[in-house]
Amino acid sequence: MFRTALRNVLAHKARLLMTVLAVTLGVAFVCGTLVFAESSSAAHRAAASKNFAGIALTVTPKEPLPGEATASGGNALDAPLVRKLAALPGVAGVRPSVDGSATLNAADGSPLRGGKAWANLAGAYVPGEDGTDERYPLVAGRAPAHADELVVDRGSATAGHLGVGDVVTLATDGPVLKKRLVGIVDTRDSRVTAGGTLALFDTATAQRLFSSPGHFTSIDLTAAHGTDPVTLATEVDRVLPADRAQATSGTAQAAQQATNVDLMTRGYQKMPKIFAGAALFIGSFLIVNTFTMLVSRRTREIALLRAIGATRRQVVRSVLWEATLVGLAASAAGFALGLGVASALPDLLSIGQDPLPHGPLVIGMRPVVAALGVGVGVTVLAAWLPSRRAAKVAPIEALRSAEQPPTPAASRARGIVGLVLLLAGAGLLVSLTGAKDASDANLQNAMAGCALLVAAMIALAPLLARPVIRLGGRLPGRLGVAGRLARENALRDPRRTAATASVLMVSTALVAGLAVIGNSTGQALDRQAADGLSADYVIEARTSMAALDPAAPQRVADVPGVRTAAAVADSTLFTGGSVRSISGVDPATLHQVMKLDFTSGSADRIGPGRIAVSDTVARAQGLRTGSAVKARIGPGQDFKDYTVVGVYRDNPLAQDVLGARAEVQHDSFRPGTVQRLLVRTDGAVSEATAARLRTATGNSPLVRVKDREELVAEAGGTVSELLTLMYGLLAIGAVISLLGIVNTLAMSVAERTREIGVLRAIGMDRAGVRRMIRVEAVTVAAFGTLLGLAGGMFGAWAVGSLAGGAMTRYTLAPPWGTLALLALLSLVTGALAAAVPARRAAALSPLEAVGQT
Amino acid sequence: MTANSLTAQALYPEPGVAAAATDLCKVYGSGDTRVVALDRVSIGFREGEFTAIMGPSGCGKSTLMHCAAGLDAATSGSVRIGTTELGTLDDRRLTELRRDRVGFIFQAFNLLPTLTALENITLPMDIAGREPDREWLDRIISMVGLADRLGHRPAQLSGGQQQRVAVARALASRPAIVFGDEPTGNLDSHAGAEVLGFLRGSVRELGQTVVMVTHDPVAASYADRVVFLADGRIVDEMLRPSAEGVLDRMRGFEPRPRTP
Repeated sequence: MFRTALRNVLAHKARLLMTVLAVTLGVAFVCGTLVFAESSSAAHRAAASKNFAGIALTVTPKEPLPGEATASGGNALDAPLVRKLAALPGVAGVRPSVDGSATLNAADGSPLRGGKAWANLAGAYVPGEDGTDERYPLVAGRAPAHADELVVDRGSATAGHLGVGDVVTLATDGPVLKKRLVGIVDTRDSRVTAGGTLALFDTATAQRLFSSPGHFTSIDLTAAHGTDPVTLATEVDRVLPADRAQATSGTAQAAQQATNVDLMTRGYQKMPKIFAGAALFIGSFLIVNTFTMLVSRRTREIALLRAIGATRRQVVRSVLWEATLVGLAASAAGFALGLGVASALPDLLSIGQDPLPHGPLVIGMRPVVAALGVGVGVTVLAAWLPSRRAAKVAPIEALRSAEQPPTPAASRARGIVGLVLLLAGAGLLVSLTGAKDASDANLQNAMAGCALLVAAMIALAPLLARPVIRLGGRLPGRLGVAGRLARENALRDPRRTAATASVLMVSTALVAGLAVIGNSTGQALDRQAADGLSADYVIEARTSMAALDPAAPQRVADVPGVRTAAAVADSTLFTGGSVRSISGVDPATLHQVMKLDFTSGSADRIGPGRIAVSDTVARAQGLRTGSAVKARIGPGQDFKDYTVVGVYRDNPLAQDVLGARAEVQHDSFRPGTVQRLLVRTDGAVSEATAARLRTATGNSPLVRVKDREELVAEAGGTVSELLTLMYGLLAIGAVISLLGIVNTLAMSVAERTREIGVLRAIGMDRAGVRRMIRVEAVTVAAFGTLLGLAGGMFGAWAVGSLAGGAMTRYTLAPPWGTLALLALLSLVTGALAAAVPARRAAALSPLEAVGQT
Repeated sequence: MTANSLTAQALYPEPGVAAAATDLCKVYGSGDTRVVALDRVSIGFREGEFTAIMGPSGCGKSTLMHCAAGLDAATSGSVRIGTTELGTLDDRRLTELRRDRVGFIFQAFNLLPTLTALENITLPMDIAGREPDREWLDRIISMVGLADRLGHRPAQLSGGQQQRVAVARALASRPAIVFGDEPTGNLDSHAGAEVLGFLRGSVRELGQTVVMVTHDPVAASYADRVVFLADGRIVDEMLRPSAEGVLDRMRGFEPRPRTP
C-alpha cells in the first residue's frame, strides 16, 4: 500500500503542487510567526539586558537606610577601592563604571532613538593599563580626554549622521549640553546594538554627570581562572566598607535581571502571539479544506480501488501514507519559508515611530513542534476524515456519480449546530451590551462570544451559500451566459464554495471587526482628548525619570504670545495595591490649561493632603468625594492620609490623580523638578511659536514640544498597534484565501473539463470561458467577504458596547473607507486567484467534450 | 454513384453542398509512433441529406467528423462549411462558426448540469447574444416532445430525454450542418430509435443537413447514405441503406489486415 501511496503522490504533479503549497504556506505562517514571536521577545529582552557573562562579582554602593544621612560626599566606590580590589588574590580584572543615561540629538537636530531611558546609555570611558577601555574598542578617532568631548557607538553615529569632529547636542537630565565628538567605538552591549545609543565621556566628566567627583557607580570584577567564587566573595567583602558597599555575584544579577526583564517585556509578546494563533487557525483551515477537496475529487479512484478488492482499511492507510509524505516534505519547506517570513516581519511591522528591536532569529523547540504538528498532524487528520467517508461509499455508487450531494440529514444537523452556536455567541455578545466596564471577565466573555460567532459562521456558510449567492447573483447574471453559468457553478457544491470562502470570511470578519473597534475607539479617544484639552502646547520630558531644565518654566513664560505656562510635576501614587500616575498641579492655573469635567467636588480644594481622582481610579478603588485614602507618592516608604476632594472624567493630561504640585515635587523621584509645562497662548498658535518654545527649552533632546494635534493623536496612539495587527491579519488572510480559491478553481476546472469542452464546441470563445471562471471566483470571494463583513460588524457592535461603558464619548464609527477597501481587496483576491485556472480552462480544446474519457 | 464521383464533387464549392472535405489528411505523432488517421479523404455532404459514416474502430471516422466540424485541425487538405474555408480561420472565427453554423450531438449528451432543459437548448444563441427565433424553437421543442420538461435539470431527465434536449440544442440555431458523434451509443434501442427518428425528421421536414458517425448498422439504416471508412480511407458508399445491407457490407471489411 505504501507503494500505491508513493505512486499516487508522484502521479498527479499539479495536484501535488497545490497541496504541498497549501501545507507549506500554512506551516510557513505558523512557524514564521512563532519564530518571530520568540525572536522579538529575545530582542526585546536583549534590548533591556546587560550582559553579565564573565563578571564574577559586581560591587555597588549600598542604599542608605531611610532616615540616614545620604549626602555624605558620595558613595564608597572611589579610586583607592578600585586599586584595593585589583590587588586581591584571584581577581583577574577590575572594570569600574559610571553609568547613566543621555539622549543625543542627531545631526538634523531631532532626538536620536529617544524615549527609552534604558536604551540611551551613557558612561565613562575608563582607560586600562594600555590606555584603552577594552569594553569599547575604538573604530575611529580617539578616546575622550576633556570635559567637552565624547565618543558614541558606531550604530548611533551612522543612524544620526554624526562624524568625528561634529558638535553633538545632548542632555542627561536637566540642561542641554554640547560636546565635540572625538571618536566612535564598538560595543557588544545588546541594549545598544538592538537599537539604543551609547555616549561615553572621560571618567571625571561622567562622574560629575552621573555620580559625584571621584566616585563610580559600580565596579565589575573578573575572576582569575580556577578561583573559587565563594572564596573570592569573602575576600572582596573584607575589603568593602560593610555599610556603604556590597558585592553581588554576576549570576545572581543575571537571574534578577531576567525576572525584571520578563516582567517588562511581557507586553511585547502579546501581539506576535495573537498573530501566531490566527496563523495557526487559518493555516490549519487551509490544509483541511485542501485535503477535503482532494479526497472528494478522488472518490472515483478510491471506489475503483475498492471495486478491485482493496479493503477499506487499505484505502484509508494509502491516503494517510500519502498525507504523511506530503506533510513531511511540505513541513520542511514551510519551516524554511517561515524563517524567511520571520526575518521579514520586523521590518514590515516597524511602521510606527517605535521600531522593533533588532536581533538574531531565535529558533526554539516550539516552531519545530508546530511545524510538524501543523504540517504532518493537521495534514494527516485532514486527510483521514474525508478518506474514511470516501471509503465508506459503496464502490459501485462512487463509480456511478462523481458528485455526492450532502444528505439532507447532514445538512439539517449542520444547520442545527450552526444555529445553536450562533444563538450562543450572539446571546453572549448581546448580554454584554449592559456591561459598564471592560473588566477581564467581560472581555473574556466577549472573546468567547466572538469565537462562537466565527464557529457558527463556518458551520452555517454552506447553508447560506445558496440564498446569499442567489440573492446577490442578479449581478453576475447580468454578465450574460458566462456570468449565469459562473453563478450556477459556484452554487453547484455549496459546501465546497463555503469552505473556499470561509478563510476569506474569517479574515474579513476579524479585520472588519478590528477596524470598526479601532476606528471607534480612536475617535472616542480623540474626542475625549480634545474635550479635556485647553492648553495649546505641552512641553514635556521624554522620560518620566527626567526633568525639565529648572530655568525652562520662566523662559517659556517669557516667550511672546504665551499667556499661561502651568508647570506640572509627575510622579507615582501608590495606593490600594496599585500604582497610579499623579500630576502635581497648581489649582489656580489649572482651569486655564485643562478642561476637567468633575462629576463631584472640584479642583479648587486640591492642596496638601487633598487630591482629586479620575473616574477609573474612583471606580476601581471605590472612592468618592470625601473619601479618605492611604497612599504614598514617589519612592518614599511612608503612607500618608489623603482626602479625595473631587472625581473627574478620565483625561489624558490630568492622568489618574491630581495633587498639589509642591507636595508631589517634594516626594517625587527627582525632588523639586518639573516634568511638564502646559502652555496656553493668546491664540498665537503657529510654527513660529512652536519653534520659539523649543528654543526656550534649549532644543534639548530630552524635551518634546507637542501641539494640540499631536496630543490628540497621541491619546489614540494605542490604536495604531491594533491597526498594525489588523493589516498583518489581512495580509495573511488574503494570501491564504487566494491560494484556497486557486485550489478550488483548479479542481473545479479539472472536474468540468468536458463541460468546458462542450461550451467551446458549441461556440463559447476563450474570453467567454475565462470570464466565466473569473466571475465564479469573484462570486465565491464576494460571498466570503459579505458574510465576514456582516459578522465582523456585528461583533464590533456588540464588543463596542463594552468600550462604551469605559469611554464616555464612544460611538460606533465604522471606517467606511477601510471597509470598502477591504471589500475591494477581497474581490481583487478572487479575480487574481482566477487568473491561472481561467487560462487553463480557456486553453482546453473543444475535443475534450467528445473524448470518451 | 461511386467514391470517385464524390471526390470530383468535393473539388469545387457547389450551391447544393453544405460541407465538403478535400484531400484531408490527419497524422498523429511522428517517426515510429506516426499514425495516419485520415489519408487523403475527399467527401461532400449535400444539403438536406442524412449521411452516416461507418467503419470499424480506429478507422478514422471520428477524426473525419472532428476535422469536418472544425473541432480539430487537419494536417493537410481543406475543409469547407458552405463557402467558408476552415483552414484560414483563427480560433475566434472558428468558435463563431461552430456557434452559428454547426450543431453538435455527442454520445455522452454533454448537457450543462446547472442549466434547465430550455436553457441548454438556447445556450448557443445565449452565448452569441442572439434572441432565439420563438416560432422555430417551439417547432423544434414540440418535435422532440419536450414541452413539459423544459424546466427540468439534466439530472432529472432520462438518458433518452437528455439526448432529445441535445438534438433540440443542435437544431435550435438553424445550423448549416449538424454533426452527431455516436448519438445513440449511450441509449437503449427504444430511445435510440426515437433520437434517430428526430434526426431523420429534421432532414425530411426541416431540410436539415445531418452527418452522423456510428458503428451501429441499425442506426446507419436511418440515413440517406452510408459512407464506409477503413484505415483512414473512404472504401465504399451505400445509398438508401438497410440494416442488413450495411451489416453485410461491414462484414466484408472487417477481416482485412491493416495497411500502413
